[in-house]
Amino acid sequence: MLSARGVGKRYGAATVLDDVTFDLAPGEVLAVIGPNGAGKTTLIKSLVGLVKFQGNVTVDGIDVAKHGRTARAKIGYLSQNPALHADMTVSETALFYADLKRVDASRAREGVERAGLGDHADKRVAALSGGMRQRLALALALLADPPILILDEPVTGLDIAARLELRQLVLEQRTAGKAVLLSTHWLEDVPYIADRALVLEQGKTTYLGPASEFATAAAPRSRLYLRLNGHTPAAAPLIEEIAPGGVIGQAGDWLVVACRATEKARVVEHLVVSGVKVLDFRVEDSPEDDVAFRTIPAAGGPDARN
Amino acid sequence: MHETNVILRKELRDAFRSRWLFAFAGTFAILALTLSLVQGSAGDLGAQGFNRTTAGLINLCLLLVPLLALVIGAGALAGERERGTLATLLSQPISPAQLVLGKYLGLVIAVWMAIALGFGAAGMLMALVSPVTDVNHYLLFVGLSAVLAAAMLSLGLLISVVSDGRLKALSIAIVVWFLLVLLYDLGAVGLALTVSSSGRSLLLVVLGNPIECVRILAIMSVESDLDVLGPLGSYVSNEVGRGAGVALLSVALLAWVAIPLAATLRIAGSRDA
Repeated sequence: MLSARGVGKRYGAATVLDDVTFDLAPGEVLAVIGPNGAGKTTLIKSLVGLVKFQGNVTVDGIDVAKHGRTARAKIGYLSQNPALHADMTVSETALFYADLKRVDASRAREGVERAGLGDHADKRVAALSGGMRQRLALALALLADPPILILDEPVTGLDIAARLELRQLVLEQRTAGKAVLLSTHWLEDVPYIADRALVLEQGKTTYLGPASEFATAAAPRSRLYLRLNGHTPAAAPLIEEIAPGGVIGQAGDWLVVACRATEKARVVEHLVVSGVKVLDFRVEDSPEDDVAFRTIPAAGGPDARN
Repeated sequence: MHETNVILRKELRDAFRSRWLFAFAGTFAILALTLSLVQGSAGDLGAQGFNRTTAGLINLCLLLVPLLALVIGAGALAGERERGTLATLLSQPISPAQLVLGKYLGLVIAVWMAIALGFGAAGMLMALVSPVTDVNHYLLFVGLSAVLAAAMLSLGLLISVVSDGRLKALSIAIVVWFLLVLLYDLGAVGLALTVSSSGRSLLLVVLGNPIECVRILAIMSVESDLDVLGPLGSYVSNEVGRGAGVALLSVALLAWVAIPLAATLRIAGSRDA
């Protein structure tokens, strides 16, 4: 369905994308992962034909560089920061993009309803909250029921409920036989949401293979902030039992713990069961300043150079 | 074509919504009426009303129309790029050329509507208070303003497509307007007279500026004797011929519409969104 061969992009002397190759089949979800500046967005923009690139990208056999318009008719794209015309209403926006995609107006209205924006149809885009704007942009991407969905950091700025909704939507798309490519910082989601993972670092593919293997190899990590009502000395050894070397510091009242994403619930549970009162906790998934990407085997996964 | 049409309709709707179209129409109407009233109070309105008003309007419109069209054109793509909406539009099933063409045609139609509304309303009011003569000159002038607007919008879009931000595009547009309207006469005509004062070199200078093309065409339309244009008029009368001169200037004017637009289409297709 989507094929990328030797995709590269240079800005002057800087190489931001270097020889990226992968295929995406119908009914498959591919997660593109990497720290900030790894080239995820540039790769996605290349796939959509928004930037000029070296190499070859085809969508259902259509060359994106040569026949971008036709190829884009098969792609639903959600950008990292969707920019819509602020002076148009929700309804006008949906109708405008439906017209551009040659989709019936009734589908545009349905899309607005499905996105939960029916009550806001006459509101200007400028008056929408960030989450609502994101939902509208996603509804626009889905308007033409495209066989390929490309989502660039779709969970950025979304609350947990919206993030879970999005996860559900991606799974529904996969079930419907759509090919989905998404970039994300939420490594924790990857094994549940994606079939395969493509990890980029400094524009190069460092891993391409099953998402489950990625989860093991890359060990997505979380940073846990715990407020323990002065029980820190007692808590540290308990935390170390679950996450060896996990206590990395203290920020005011908060104890900072770095651990595998899959261990964070166990850390909290262990403290509570051991009688340490946890007053509050926060979780941060920030792979770029963590070790996740450095733990990927040098071999780069089973499909890294196919 | 469908995609171009969708963008064209959006541009027209934006023009109506932002009300600049009505503001420009009002400006054009007020200018035309003020001139006709001034001339009327001087006893000129009447048999020569349209003719005098037309002659007076030429200079004012040669300043105003290029400024408005350049600024609108320059803001068109650069503004979309700055807001991020250009990338959103280009991620749809539309080619950059279709997008540029849709925006251009939408803007041209909107500006033409402003010109037609403004000068049309003024012309009707003038016709109500004086016998209608020389309407053809007036209509020709309105038509020339429309073609000049199309050329300047084309140039504005070219500025827009090479600019990263709206402010930069608008700044370049103002500089280009200043060069074409104010400095060109001094610089180019001075250079032509220094290097060669022949009517031929003056004609070449005129062809290099769409505003000059319109100015000369407008003067040729109201003046039967081309000597009023000095060496250029003599050269056109004696060497080129009046008809061929008009054709040459018209072709140059159309080239000023087509060439910047073609360059814009080409650059838009090769730039990252």
